[in-house]
Amino acid sequence: MAKGIVKKTFLAPLGKDNPVFVQVLGICSTLAVTNKLENTLVMTLGVMFTTALSSWTLSLMRSWIPSRIRMMVETLVIATYVILVDIALKAFYPEMWKQLGPYVGLIITNCIVMGRIEAFALQNKPGLSLIDGLASGLGYAYVLMIIAFFRELLGTGSLWGYPILGSWWTNWSIMIMPPGGFFMLAIFIWVVREVVLKEAKK
Amino acid sequence: MKQSGFYAKRIYPLVFMFLVTTVCILITSGIFLATEDRVRENELLFLRTAVLSAAGASLGTDTSQIASLYLSSVTENEGFYIVRVGSGPERYVIPFKGAGLWGEISLMVGFEADLTTLSGVAIVSQNETPGLGARIEEPWFTAQFAGKKGPFRIVEEGTADASDEVDAITGATRTSESFQNIMNRAASESRSIIRGL
Amino acid sequence: MNEALFPVAVFFAAIFTNNILLTNYLGMCSFLSVSKELETSAGLGIAVTFVMAITTALNWLVYRFILVPFSLEYLRFIVFIIVIAAFVQLIEMIIERYSEGLYFSLGIFLPLITVNCAILGASLFMVIREYDFITTFFFGLGSGLGWLLAILAMAGIRMRLKTAKIPKGLEGAGISLVIAGFMAMAFMGFSGMITI
Repeated sequence: MAKGIVKKTFLAPLGKDNPVFVQVLGICSTLAVTNKLENTLVMTLGVMFTTALSSWTLSLMRSWIPSRIRMMVETLVIATYVILVDIALKAFYPEMWKQLGPYVGLIITNCIVMGRIEAFALQNKPGLSLIDGLASGLGYAYVLMIIAFFRELLGTGSLWGYPILGSWWTNWSIMIMPPGGFFMLAIFIWVVREVVLKEAKK
Repeated sequence: MKQSGFYAKRIYPLVFMFLVTTVCILITSGIFLATEDRVRENELLFLRTAVLSAAGASLGTDTSQIASLYLSSVTENEGFYIVRVGSGPERYVIPFKGAGLWGEISLMVGFEADLTTLSGVAIVSQNETPGLGARIEEPWFTAQFAGKKGPFRIVEEGTADASDEVDAITGATRTSESFQNIMNRAASESRSIIRGL
Repeated sequence: MNEALFPVAVFFAAIFTNNILLTNYLGMCSFLSVSKELETSAGLGIAVTFVMAITTALNWLVYRFILVPFSLEYLRFIVFIIVIAAFVQLIEMIIERYSEGLYFSLGIFLPLITVNCAILGASLFMVIREYDFITTFFFGLGSGLGWLLAILAMAGIRMRLKTAKIPKGLEGAGISLVIAGFMAMAFMGFSGMITI
């Protein structure tokens, strides 16, 4: 495997092929928990784990999968990894499990997981697919962490549960409510597209 | 040739699907069984933490401490718990349930010995909307009941100052009302549950 | 609150005050990509409503009568998604047979319904909230109608915006998210209206 391909595979989802701000995919399951940094970190780690390992597994099996039942096999593998995440959280991090509720299960329908498998893992070698899955998960994670950072900071005046801004700060309650998630994501996409992508084109 | 076509089209996908399904279920079942005891322990611990914090006990994060504190200070009765931490006052904790906006809200409500003043509230389970109703889990919300007497009135978030007023949660009117109803029921029924009156 | 009215309350809450799309962000992917045209949006919205109402009820039956008696609750993710996938496949075959127009306009979106988070979401919520059968059905139907309402409103607004001048970086997904944010605020305003 050429070193260049590995590097390119890893870097693309972090920048110019980012699943969130370029393709606007997969925000369904996680946006709802971005009102707290801690929840977001755990959720995005779950997504990263699922994307990387299901890409790897399906890439290993890719030449044996009958095309007619491809979607079913993919779903089954993804669901298995998600159940692992769910059980692990329930056993070792029960408070978080309670807070995330049904959202862990919704990683199954996260468009990024299935999207990377269809677009990449089924045509590439397992090792490279693992890197692609990991990088896509990472590209997804850092965007949502930035959103969560602003939502928690502006909405509650604290970060990771610790008060940061002090008593002079009036909480913007709207930020931790559902509309805040939409606005933050829109602003983020706007800024990135105006600034970063324009510079990249030059 | 015909036979192999039939095999590739009909039998092979079925066999493949069956194998994948079996492997997946075996893996998940294995992990589930391996963690089952731990999950049960966690649930017990969670319930015990809720009882203790409703009684206003200060809790460490060490899990073994919670278990021993619970065993040394809580007496389980039918329908309620009697809690006495160290040489502190005797308090009563009663489980209450009620309909929230989406599903059941289940609480542990703690009372001082007079059975009207609250020592604390702890949420056992709730399914309200994240970011809206689910904010009843936030410590400031449950903490505002401690030391007050029912019946309660909910007022706009951030404006409570009278002794029977509690802050509601903005954007979650129904959840706040449900919570208020459960608390008021708790306040009016506490005597009859504990004294059997 | 009257116990008998609980399903009705859940039904209206699922449509308005706690719209599955606008408060839980479920079903965003197809929402953003399909809401450009009013007609396609209506088609997809109706399909989602139909599939959601029926699969949520089906999954309730499966959960209650198969998974719980054998204590296999931890397999629910797999089982739910298989029930949904099988049902969507069935619907796809029926639509393909009887309505060519609808089949071509929805085309690639029907398989997307399987991975529409909102549909799996409704099934998972119904389990966690421990609804009975009637409530489950009303919840599924209400969530579907809420999704339909949101995507119709969005498509209507986006059609009007076609001629508007929008900053380059906000075009497409960006402006849709801003609209969705305002819609979410508007829908929160319903919360004072429903008091049963």
